[in-house]
Amino acid sequence: MATYLVSVLNGLAMGALLFAIALGLSLVFGMMDVLNLAHGAVYLVGAYIAVALAADGASPAAFVLAVLLAGVAGAVLGGLLAGLTRATPHHLDQALLTLGVSLVVAETLSAVFGNDVHSIAAPAPVAGSVTVFGETYPVYRLLVIAFGLVLAAGVYVLVERSPLGSLIRATVADRGMVSALGVNTGRVLVGVFAAGAGLAAVGGVLAGPILGAQPGLDEKVLLLALVVVVIGGLGSVRGALLGAVLIGQVQALGTALLPEYASFLIFAAMGLVLLLRPAGLLPARAAVHA
Amino acid sequence: MIVLSADLRMIRKSTPVLVFMAAALVLSGCAGSSLDQSSGTQSSGTVKIGLLVPLSGVYAPLGEDMSNGFKLYLDQHGGKLGGRTAEVVSADEGEGPQTGVPAAQKLVTQDQAAAVVGVVNSATALGLRDFFHESQKPLLIANAGADDITGARKSEYVWRTSFANGRVSAALGSTVAKEVKGGVYLIAADYAAGREMVAGFRKTFEAAGGKVAGEKYTPFGKTQDFQPFLSAIRGSDAKAVYSFYAGAEAVSFVKQYQQFGLSGSTPLYGTGFLTEGGVLDAQGEAAVGVKTSLHYSTELDTPRNKEFVAAYRKAYDEAPTVYAVQAYDAASVLDKALGSAPQASGAELVKALGAVGTVDSPRGQWSFDADHDAQQKYYLREVRSSGGAVVNAVVSELS
Repeated sequence: MATYLVSVLNGLAMGALLFAIALGLSLVFGMMDVLNLAHGAVYLVGAYIAVALAADGASPAAFVLAVLLAGVAGAVLGGLLAGLTRATPHHLDQALLTLGVSLVVAETLSAVFGNDVHSIAAPAPVAGSVTVFGETYPVYRLLVIAFGLVLAAGVYVLVERSPLGSLIRATVADRGMVSALGVNTGRVLVGVFAAGAGLAAVGGVLAGPILGAQPGLDEKVLLLALVVVVIGGLGSVRGALLGAVLIGQVQALGTALLPEYASFLIFAAMGLVLLLRPAGLLPARAAVHA
Repeated sequence: MIVLSADLRMIRKSTPVLVFMAAALVLSGCAGSSLDQSSGTQSSGTVKIGLLVPLSGVYAPLGEDMSNGFKLYLDQHGGKLGGRTAEVVSADEGEGPQTGVPAAQKLVTQDQAAAVVGVVNSATALGLRDFFHESQKPLLIANAGADDITGARKSEYVWRTSFANGRVSAALGSTVAKEVKGGVYLIAADYAAGREMVAGFRKTFEAAGGKVAGEKYTPFGKTQDFQPFLSAIRGSDAKAVYSFYAGAEAVSFVKQYQQFGLSGSTPLYGTGFLTEGGVLDAQGEAAVGVKTSLHYSTELDTPRNKEFVAAYRKAYDEAPTVYAVQAYDAASVLDKALGSAPQASGAELVKALGAVGTVDSPRGQWSFDADHDAQQKYYLREVRSSGGAVVNAVVSELS
């Protein structure tokens, strides 16, 4: 039993990371109708910033610096992508455009950092392990869970309870009307894109001590984020949270209970959700009218 | 209401695109990977050798090591193989047969290479077997480990300077049975190499009286978090673990094995690829104490190896790996064979390869067996921390 409780805990840690990564993808796609396939590459930029600044059991200061720098780098990349994707309204063009950007970014990272697998140590004070439910558990993963909770609460308040949030939701609902009220909607859209990408890059740093950094990781992460978005529903904070927690649990607990089917579990979950709720569990409709 | 229906329309339109993209990513992830090898053709004093190693994709670090090893041999011998100037043509093996097979065919048909060296991926190696067999050109495999390459699907034109999966792991079986009092848990990546490694280990381990406490195969290339599997190991009362992973999975597995507190209580054994080269650098201190079997270690205390390690460090500013040695030896074998193959034709070369005899390699003395596989010694290695770096110290020779 304790084994499964630890798996639940682990699923929460993965869920927290997936939430940080998938949130931007969901908001950008749901709110702006832009499919950003470069999202995984932005994540990888964050992971490699962690490799450069905090690879070997760095001090907490270096780690925080890496987080901040990744946030800025991600936001800049996101801003650029927002500008690029506004050039075309078609999904397929946007997909090809952002896919191209992701290939260029990934190849550049591989040229700079080499093709080797890099691991990133957790900051020294939290690098150890504690005993949870009678099993050894890394402290860092507990911190990631705490980060996920704080992030979820913060984003909820910002998007659903603040004036800025109502502006964002209004822009999604009827861009023309918001524009007629004298608001520069383009700026809102670029802001959301940049914030979402910044969050993905921060996720890359925070996931570093768990997932490391290597070529190809961007595609794996993008795939997971897409599954989270499909399950949760587009453009909704609550949907992204639910999807991320669900996929985290399916990966950890599902693998513990049904190891033979580990590779198919998350896709089985996605298929099931699509059959029962084709628009996802909590699509943006709810968020807009919250 | 208008707003709401507009929203729904958007969602309906968008969801299939998302699902399509997710499916496309899954499919692209399923594509296998392969290794290739190159060879050369000769004309008046020169011989063309194809070097087919991965220059891109997840195996690129191995490809770089192999290319370095092959070129180091050439540099040490004035750029000559068998008395002729070697002209090396490189091609990218990529991640699987879909890139590796055409690249190898191009080396033979277009570049007219006399022989092809390399191939990391077993699926590529097996995919190339018929092509080389029929075009009667030698293929020197310098990594791909599938047992079938020199087993059920052997060819007189396919030679291997590296290893067969089952043999590397079989070398460790009786030692683990002797050292561990109690059951051993077997865990490996769920693909052909993982299963061959475990099968080879299991055979000699059980023959020596070892007991298996559990056996699990983890999704290959999709497992980033090993916690559920590690918890299962803890729950099984196993006294030790035998594992096979390589690349990124080896890093995650060994690091998490330590993070989740198993390394303190349950010794970890594995095939040498678990702690080889760049993988070991990334694992760092987390790998200390891991014991593996392999046919090479940079720490081998022989004059031949010390000289090789020094030359390699001088040329590339890093320690050599088993992958570099395998390609280095492929060059060495070709050097000998080309010496007694004046036309460098396929038939001549394979005859000469059969007469190469003992190869004096950094890994020790080895020779081709009747199936064209490397007949060699295996070593028991233990990861130790020495002077800020972690290395695979050689504990003993395995029988």
